[in-house]
Amino acid sequence: MLLVYEDSHKEHLSFLTDLETEVLKEFGRISLNFIRKGINPKIFQGAAQKLGVPVETVQHGVEGLMYLLIEGSRFLLNEVDFQDSLMTLGFSEETRSTLLELYLEHRREVRQILDDMSLDLPHYHNLEWRFDVQLASRSLRHQVAPLVLLKLQTKDDEAKKTTLLQTDPVNLVHVTHVLEEALQEMKSGYFRRIARNIK
Amino acid sequence: MEFGPQVLENIALAGDAAHIPDKIFAKLVTCACQGVLNEDQRNIVEENPAFKDTNKAVLKAAFSGLVTLIIEAAKHDSSDQNISSLLEECKYTADKINEFSKIFLPQKPHIQLLLGKIGFSFPHIVDVDWRLDYYIKNNNVEKVNSGVYLISLKTEIPGEHELKDFQFSCTVEQLQDLVGKLRDATKCMERIAQV
Repeated sequence: MLLVYEDSHKEHLSFLTDLETEVLKEFGRISLNFIRKGINPKIFQGAAQKLGVPVETVQHGVEGLMYLLIEGSRFLLNEVDFQDSLMTLGFSEETRSTLLELYLEHRREVRQILDDMSLDLPHYHNLEWRFDVQLASRSLRHQVAPLVLLKLQTKDDEAKKTTLLQTDPVNLVHVTHVLEEALQEMKSGYFRRIARNIK
Repeated sequence: MEFGPQVLENIALAGDAAHIPDKIFAKLVTCACQGVLNEDQRNIVEENPAFKDTNKAVLKAAFSGLVTLIIEAAKHDSSDQNISSLLEECKYTADKINEFSKIFLPQKPHIQLLLGKIGFSFPHIVDVDWRLDYYIKNNNVEKVNSGVYLISLKTEIPGEHELKDFQFSCTVEQLQDLVGKLRDATKCMERIAQV
Protein backbone atom coordinates (compact mmCIF):
# COMPACT_ATOMS: atom_id res chain seq x y z
CA MET A 1 0.00 0.00 0.00
CA LEU A 2 1.04 3.63 -0.50
CA LEU A 3 0.62 6.66 1.71
CA VAL A 4 -1.97 9.18 0.59
CA TYR A 5 -1.18 12.87 0.96
CA GLU A 6 -3.39 15.89 1.05
CA ASP A 7 -2.39 18.86 -1.08
CA SER A 8 -1.39 20.97 1.90
CA HIS A 9 0.76 18.15 3.13
CA LYS A 10 2.52 17.85 -0.22
CA GLU A 11 3.16 21.55 -0.16
CA HIS A 12 4.65 21.37 3.32
CA LEU A 13 6.94 18.56 2.34
CA SER A 14 8.09 20.28 -0.83
CA PHE A 15 10.31 22.47 1.33
CA LEU A 16 12.42 19.41 2.07
CA THR A 17 13.20 18.85 -1.63
CA ASP A 18 15.78 21.61 -1.81
CA LEU A 19 17.61 20.87 1.41
CA GLU A 20 21.15 19.57 1.56
CA THR A 21 21.56 16.05 2.91
CA GLU A 22 23.13 17.24 6.15
CA VAL A 23 20.31 19.71 6.83
CA LEU A 24 17.71 17.08 5.94
CA LYS A 25 19.28 14.69 8.42
CA GLU A 26 19.12 17.40 11.06
CA PHE A 27 15.41 17.83 10.25
CA GLY A 28 14.98 14.08 10.61
CA ARG A 29 16.66 14.16 14.01
CA ILE A 30 14.42 17.03 15.15
CA SER A 31 11.28 15.25 13.92
CA LEU A 32 12.16 12.09 15.79
CA ASN A 33 12.84 14.03 18.95
CA PHE A 34 9.46 15.72 18.65
CA ILE A 35 7.77 12.35 18.18
CA ARG A 36 9.48 11.14 21.34
CA LYS A 37 9.07 14.19 23.54
CA GLY A 38 6.49 16.50 21.96
CA ILE A 39 7.00 19.63 19.89
CA ASN A 40 9.32 22.39 21.10
CA PRO A 41 8.56 25.59 19.08
CA LYS A 42 11.83 27.27 20.03
CA ILE A 43 13.73 24.95 17.76
CA PHE A 44 11.71 26.14 14.74
CA GLN A 45 12.87 29.68 15.30
CA GLY A 46 16.53 28.76 15.59
CA ALA A 47 16.41 26.66 12.44
CA ALA A 48 14.48 29.31 10.50
CA GLN A 49 17.06 31.97 11.35
CA LYS A 50 19.93 29.73 10.30
CA LEU A 51 18.32 28.84 6.97
CA GLY A 52 16.89 32.28 6.35
CA VAL A 53 13.33 31.09 5.75
CA PRO A 54 10.04 31.86 7.55
CA VAL A 55 9.42 30.01 10.83
CA GLU A 56 6.24 28.59 9.39
CA THR A 57 8.02 26.90 6.54
CA VAL A 58 10.36 25.13 8.94
CA GLN A 59 7.47 24.15 11.16
CA HIS A 60 5.51 22.71 8.25
CA GLY A 61 8.55 20.86 6.99
CA VAL A 62 9.18 19.21 10.36
CA GLU A 63 5.52 18.41 10.88
CA GLY A 64 5.29 16.93 7.41
CA LEU A 65 8.27 14.76 8.12
CA MET A 66 6.79 13.63 11.43
CA TYR A 67 3.59 12.70 9.63
CA LEU A 68 5.57 10.73 7.08
CA LEU A 69 7.41 8.76 9.76
CA ILE A 70 4.32 8.18 11.89
CA GLU A 71 2.11 7.05 9.03
CA GLY A 72 4.80 4.80 7.60
CA SER A 73 5.30 3.17 11.01
CA ARG A 74 1.60 2.98 11.68
CA PHE A 75 0.98 0.91 8.55
CA LEU A 76 4.30 -0.86 8.93
CA LEU A 77 5.17 -0.05 5.32
CA ASN A 78 7.92 -2.13 3.84
CA GLU A 79 10.96 -0.67 2.11
CA VAL A 80 9.47 -0.73 -1.36
CA ASP A 81 6.12 0.78 -0.36
CA PHE A 82 7.76 3.54 1.64
CA GLN A 83 10.05 4.41 -1.24
CA ASP A 84 7.15 4.39 -3.70
CA SER A 85 5.20 6.66 -1.37
CA LEU A 86 8.09 9.13 -1.53
CA MET A 87 8.21 8.99 -5.33
CA THR A 88 4.97 10.90 -5.70
CA LEU A 89 6.46 13.83 -3.78
CA GLY A 90 9.10 14.59 -6.39
CA PHE A 91 12.11 14.14 -4.13
CA SER A 92 15.56 13.57 -5.56
CA GLU A 93 17.12 10.11 -5.37
CA GLU A 94 19.42 11.27 -2.60
CA THR A 95 16.65 12.79 -0.50
CA ARG A 96 14.60 9.61 -0.90
CA SER A 97 17.41 7.36 0.26
CA THR A 98 18.14 9.63 3.24
CA LEU A 99 14.48 9.53 4.31
CA LEU A 100 14.25 5.78 3.71
CA GLU A 101 17.29 5.21 5.90
CA LEU A 102 15.79 7.39 8.60
CA TYR A 103 12.49 5.51 8.38
CA LEU A 104 13.97 2.03 8.45
CA GLU A 105 16.25 2.84 11.33
CA HIS A 106 13.54 4.28 13.54
CA ARG A 107 10.42 2.45 12.41
CA ARG A 108 10.45 0.08 15.35
CA GLU A 109 10.90 2.88 17.87
CA VAL A 110 8.13 5.05 16.43
CA ARG A 111 5.82 2.06 16.39
CA GLN A 112 6.62 1.40 20.01
CA ILE A 113 5.77 5.01 20.87
CA LEU A 114 2.44 4.72 19.02
CA ASP A 115 1.79 1.44 20.78
CA ASP A 116 2.43 3.00 24.18
CA MET A 117 -0.18 5.66 23.39
CA SER A 118 -2.79 3.10 22.41
CA LEU A 119 -5.70 1.90 24.45
CA ASP A 120 -4.39 -0.56 26.98
CA LEU A 121 -6.18 -2.99 29.27
CA PRO A 122 -4.92 -3.81 32.74
CA HIS A 123 -2.62 -6.70 32.03
CA TYR A 124 -0.83 -9.41 33.94
CA HIS A 125 2.55 -8.47 35.30
CA ASN A 126 3.60 -10.97 37.95
CA LEU A 127 2.30 -13.61 40.33
CA GLU A 128 3.70 -14.74 43.64
CA TRP A 129 2.20 -17.51 45.71
CA ARG A 130 2.60 -19.15 49.06
CA PHE A 131 1.07 -22.18 50.68
CA ASP A 132 -0.54 -21.87 54.11
CA VAL A 133 -2.65 -24.09 56.33
CA GLN A 134 -5.21 -22.36 58.47
CA LEU A 135 -5.15 -23.99 61.91
CA ALA A 136 -7.54 -22.01 64.07
CA SER A 137 -9.70 -18.92 64.16
CA ARG A 138 -11.53 -16.99 66.82
CA SER A 139 -14.71 -18.96 66.20
CA LEU A 140 -13.26 -22.42 65.51
CA ARG A 141 -10.16 -24.17 66.86
CA HIS A 142 -8.55 -27.30 65.45
CA GLN A 143 -8.96 -26.60 61.75
CA VAL A 144 -6.89 -27.90 58.89
CA ALA A 145 -7.71 -25.73 55.90
CA PRO A 146 -5.00 -25.64 53.22
CA LEU A 147 -4.90 -22.30 51.43
CA VAL A 148 -2.86 -20.89 48.61
CA LEU A 149 -2.31 -17.15 48.87
CA LEU A 150 -1.74 -15.40 45.57
CA LYS A 151 -0.28 -11.96 45.07
CA LEU A 152 -1.22 -10.90 41.60
CA GLN A 153 0.37 -7.83 40.06
CA THR A 154 -1.31 -6.18 37.12
CA LYS A 155 -0.21 -3.18 35.12
CA ASP A 156 -2.44 -0.54 33.61
CA ASP A 157 -0.32 1.70 31.42
CA GLU A 158 2.55 2.26 33.82
CA ALA A 159 0.58 1.96 37.05
CA LYS A 160 1.17 -1.30 38.89
CA LYS A 161 -1.60 -2.73 41.01
CA THR A 162 -1.24 -5.51 43.54
CA THR A 163 -4.18 -7.74 44.43
CA LEU A 164 -4.17 -10.35 47.16
CA LEU A 165 -6.27 -13.40 46.44
CA GLN A 166 -6.53 -16.87 47.87
CA THR A 167 -7.81 -20.23 46.80
CA ASP A 168 -8.04 -23.81 48.04
CA PRO A 169 -6.26 -26.82 46.51
CA VAL A 170 -9.28 -28.07 44.57
CA ASN A 171 -9.92 -24.71 42.96
CA LEU A 172 -6.23 -24.18 42.29
CA VAL A 173 -6.09 -27.41 40.32
CA HIS A 174 -9.29 -26.44 38.52
CA VAL A 175 -8.12 -22.93 37.61
CA THR A 176 -4.72 -24.21 36.46
CA HIS A 177 -6.42 -26.80 34.29
CA VAL A 178 -8.84 -24.30 32.71
CA LEU A 179 -6.01 -21.87 31.90
CA GLU A 180 -3.91 -24.68 30.42
CA GLU A 181 -6.80 -25.40 28.09
CA ALA A 182 -6.91 -21.70 27.19
CA LEU A 183 -3.23 -21.84 26.23
CA GLN A 184 -3.85 -24.90 24.06
CA GLU A 185 -6.44 -22.96 22.11
CA MET A 186 -3.71 -20.68 20.79
CA LYS A 187 -2.13 -23.70 19.13
CA SER A 188 -5.36 -24.87 17.54
CA GLY A 189 -5.78 -25.05 13.79
CA TYR A 190 -8.65 -22.61 13.97
CA PHE A 191 -6.63 -19.88 15.65
CA ARG A 192 -3.72 -20.36 13.28
CA ARG A 193 -5.95 -20.29 10.24
CA ILE A 194 -7.50 -16.98 11.34
CA ALA A 195 -4.09 -15.51 12.19
CA ARG A 196 -2.75 -16.51 8.77
CA ASN A 197 -5.67 -14.96 6.93
CA ILE A 198 -5.73 -11.59 8.68
CA LYS A 199 -3.12 -9.48 7.04
CA MET B 1 -13.85 -24.95 77.45
CA GLU B 2 -14.38 -22.54 80.33
CA PHE B 3 -17.60 -20.85 81.41
CA GLY B 4 -18.46 -18.03 83.73
CA PRO B 5 -20.65 -18.72 86.80
CA GLN B 6 -23.75 -17.24 85.11
CA VAL B 7 -23.47 -19.56 82.14
CA LEU B 8 -22.87 -22.60 84.37
CA GLU B 9 -25.93 -21.67 86.35
CA ASN B 10 -28.00 -21.52 83.15
CA ILE B 11 -26.70 -24.89 81.99
CA ALA B 12 -27.55 -26.36 85.39
CA LEU B 13 -31.01 -24.83 85.14
CA ALA B 14 -31.65 -26.68 81.88
CA GLY B 15 -30.80 -29.98 83.57
CA ASP B 16 -32.87 -29.31 86.67
CA ALA B 17 -36.05 -31.40 86.46
CA ALA B 18 -37.81 -29.01 88.82
CA HIS B 19 -37.64 -26.29 86.16
CA ILE B 20 -37.32 -28.14 82.88
CA PRO B 21 -39.31 -31.36 83.07
CA ASP B 22 -37.50 -34.47 81.83
CA LYS B 23 -39.89 -34.97 78.96
CA ILE B 24 -39.14 -31.62 77.35
CA PHE B 25 -35.35 -31.64 78.00
CA ALA B 26 -34.59 -33.54 74.78
CA LYS B 27 -36.83 -31.18 72.85
CA LEU B 28 -35.00 -28.17 74.29
CA VAL B 29 -31.56 -29.54 73.30
CA THR B 30 -32.83 -30.28 69.78
CA CYS B 31 -34.21 -26.75 69.52
CA ALA B 32 -30.92 -25.29 70.73
CA CYS B 33 -29.02 -27.17 68.01
CA GLN B 34 -31.51 -26.07 65.36
CA GLY B 35 -31.42 -22.51 66.61
CA VAL B 36 -27.66 -22.44 66.14
CA LEU B 37 -27.76 -24.11 62.73
CA ASN B 38 -30.62 -22.25 61.08
CA GLU B 39 -30.72 -18.53 61.02
CA ASP B 40 -34.52 -18.41 60.69
CA GLN B 41 -34.97 -20.57 63.79
CA ARG B 42 -33.06 -18.42 66.27
CA ASN B 43 -36.30 -17.82 68.13
CA ILE B 44 -37.52 -21.37 67.90
CA VAL B 45 -38.52 -21.76 71.58
CA GLU B 46 -40.57 -18.61 71.87
CA GLU B 47 -43.81 -19.72 70.20
CA ASN B 48 -43.20 -23.46 70.51
CA PRO B 49 -46.28 -25.22 72.02
CA ALA B 50 -44.03 -27.85 73.68
CA PHE B 51 -42.83 -25.20 76.13
CA LYS B 52 -46.12 -23.45 76.80
CA ASP B 53 -46.23 -24.62 80.44
CA THR B 54 -42.66 -23.54 81.19
CA ASN B 55 -41.87 -20.27 82.89
CA LYS B 56 -40.62 -17.90 80.16
CA ALA B 57 -37.70 -16.47 82.15
CA VAL B 58 -36.48 -19.97 83.10
CA LEU B 59 -36.87 -21.16 79.53
CA LYS B 60 -34.86 -18.23 78.22
CA ALA B 61 -32.05 -18.78 80.71
CA ALA B 62 -31.91 -22.54 80.12
CA PHE B 63 -31.97 -22.09 76.34
CA SER B 64 -29.14 -19.56 76.43
CA GLY B 65 -27.09 -21.90 78.63
CA LEU B 66 -27.50 -24.79 76.21
CA VAL B 67 -26.75 -22.65 73.15
CA THR B 68 -23.55 -21.37 74.77
CA LEU B 69 -22.52 -24.91 75.67
CA ILE B 70 -23.22 -26.20 72.16
CA ILE B 71 -21.27 -23.42 70.44
CA GLU B 72 -18.29 -23.62 72.80
CA ALA B 73 -18.15 -27.42 72.62
CA ALA B 74 -18.17 -27.25 68.82
CA LYS B 75 -15.62 -24.44 68.76
CA HIS B 76 -13.13 -26.42 70.90
CA ASP B 77 -14.14 -29.75 69.37
CA SER B 78 -14.69 -31.07 72.92
CA SER B 79 -14.78 -34.82 73.40
CA ASP B 80 -17.78 -36.70 74.72
CA GLN B 81 -15.84 -37.17 77.96
CA ASN B 82 -15.16 -33.47 78.43
CA ILE B 83 -18.79 -32.63 77.90
CA SER B 84 -19.89 -35.36 80.32
CA SER B 85 -17.65 -34.15 83.11
CA LEU B 86 -18.85 -30.60 82.67
CA LEU B 87 -22.49 -31.69 82.76
CA GLU B 88 -21.79 -33.80 85.84
CA GLU B 89 -20.52 -30.68 87.56
CA CYS B 90 -23.83 -29.07 86.68
CA LYS B 91 -25.56 -31.96 88.43
CA TYR B 92 -26.99 -33.66 85.35
CA THR B 93 -28.16 -37.22 85.69
CA ALA B 94 -26.42 -39.90 83.60
CA ASP B 95 -29.55 -40.27 81.49
CA LYS B 96 -29.62 -36.57 80.64
CA ILE B 97 -25.94 -36.51 79.84
CA ASN B 98 -26.48 -39.39 77.42
CA GLU B 99 -29.45 -37.68 75.90
CA PHE B 100 -27.52 -34.45 75.37
CA SER B 101 -24.63 -36.27 73.69
CA LYS B 102 -26.96 -38.31 71.52
CA ILE B 103 -28.55 -35.15 70.11
CA PHE B 104 -25.54 -32.87 70.04
CA LEU B 105 -22.72 -35.10 68.72
CA PRO B 106 -24.29 -35.84 65.31
CA GLN B 107 -24.86 -32.09 64.85
CA LYS B 108 -21.36 -31.10 65.93
CA PRO B 109 -19.70 -31.34 62.47
CA HIS B 110 -22.45 -29.18 60.95
CA ILE B 111 -22.07 -26.54 63.62
CA GLN B 112 -18.30 -26.58 63.14
CA LEU B 113 -18.79 -26.04 59.43
CA LEU B 114 -20.79 -22.93 60.20
CA LEU B 115 -18.25 -21.69 62.72
CA GLY B 116 -15.48 -22.25 60.18
CA LYS B 117 -17.23 -19.90 57.81
CA ILE B 118 -17.08 -17.04 60.27
CA GLY B 119 -14.02 -14.94 59.76
CA PHE B 120 -12.28 -12.98 57.10
CA SER B 121 -10.23 -13.90 54.09
CA PHE B 122 -8.90 -12.47 50.89
CA PRO B 123 -11.16 -12.81 47.88
CA HIS B 124 -11.29 -16.55 47.30
CA ILE B 125 -10.94 -17.76 43.72
CA VAL B 126 -13.59 -20.32 42.83
CA ASP B 127 -13.56 -20.27 39.04
CA VAL B 128 -12.05 -18.61 36.02
CA ASP B 129 -13.38 -17.53 32.64
CA TRP B 130 -11.20 -16.80 29.68
CA ARG B 131 -11.56 -15.51 26.19
CA LEU B 132 -9.09 -15.43 23.33
CA ASP B 133 -9.04 -12.41 21.03
CA TYR B 134 -7.01 -11.58 17.99
CA TYR B 135 -5.86 -7.99 18.35
CA ILE B 136 -5.84 -6.54 14.83
CA LYS B 137 -5.31 -2.79 15.04
CA ASN B 138 -6.13 0.37 16.96
CA ASN B 139 -6.43 4.07 16.20
CA ASN B 140 -2.66 4.55 16.41
CA VAL B 141 -1.17 1.35 15.10
CA GLU B 142 -2.13 -0.98 12.26
CA LYS B 143 -1.15 -4.62 11.93
CA VAL B 144 -0.79 -5.31 15.64
CA ASN B 145 -1.87 -8.88 14.88
CA SER B 146 -1.34 -10.81 18.06
CA GLY B 147 -3.36 -13.11 20.27
CA VAL B 148 -4.60 -11.63 23.53
CA TYR B 149 -6.29 -13.43 26.39
CA LEU B 150 -8.83 -11.81 28.66
CA ILE B 151 -8.97 -13.54 32.01
CA SER B 152 -11.72 -13.13 34.58
CA LEU B 153 -11.16 -14.67 37.99
CA LYS B 154 -14.39 -15.33 39.89
CA THR B 155 -13.90 -14.66 43.56
CA GLU B 156 -15.99 -15.14 46.67
CA ILE B 157 -15.74 -12.36 49.22
CA PRO B 158 -16.80 -13.11 52.79
CA GLY B 159 -20.09 -11.42 53.63
CA GLU B 160 -21.06 -10.82 50.01
CA HIS B 161 -23.58 -12.94 48.20
CA GLU B 162 -22.45 -12.39 44.65
CA LEU B 163 -19.24 -13.54 43.05
CA LYS B 164 -16.90 -10.73 42.12
CA ASP B 165 -14.85 -10.65 38.93
CA PHE B 166 -11.22 -9.76 38.76
CA GLN B 167 -10.31 -9.06 35.16
CA PHE B 168 -7.07 -8.55 33.33
CA SER B 169 -5.53 -9.27 29.96
CA CYS B 170 -2.53 -11.39 29.06
CA THR B 171 -0.34 -11.93 26.06
CA VAL B 172 0.52 -15.56 25.32
CA GLU B 173 3.87 -15.21 27.06
CA GLN B 174 2.25 -13.68 30.12
CA LEU B 175 -0.35 -16.43 30.31
CA GLN B 176 2.40 -19.04 29.98
CA ASP B 177 4.17 -17.38 32.89
CA LEU B 178 0.97 -17.33 34.96
CA VAL B 179 0.10 -20.96 34.21
CA GLY B 180 3.67 -22.03 34.91
CA LYS B 181 3.54 -20.48 38.35
CA LEU B 182 0.13 -21.94 39.13
CA ARG B 183 1.43 -25.33 38.06
CA ASP B 184 4.38 -24.94 40.43
CA ALA B 185 2.00 -24.14 43.26
CA THR B 186 -0.15 -27.18 42.40
CA LYS B 187 2.88 -29.48 42.36
CA CYS B 188 4.15 -28.13 45.65
CA MET B 189 0.78 -28.73 47.20
CA GLU B 190 0.56 -32.28 45.85
CA ARG B 191 3.99 -33.10 47.26
CA ILE B 192 2.96 -31.84 50.69
CA ALA B 193 -0.30 -33.79 50.51
CA GLN B 194 1.62 -37.03 49.95
CA VAL B 195 3.80 -36.65 53.05
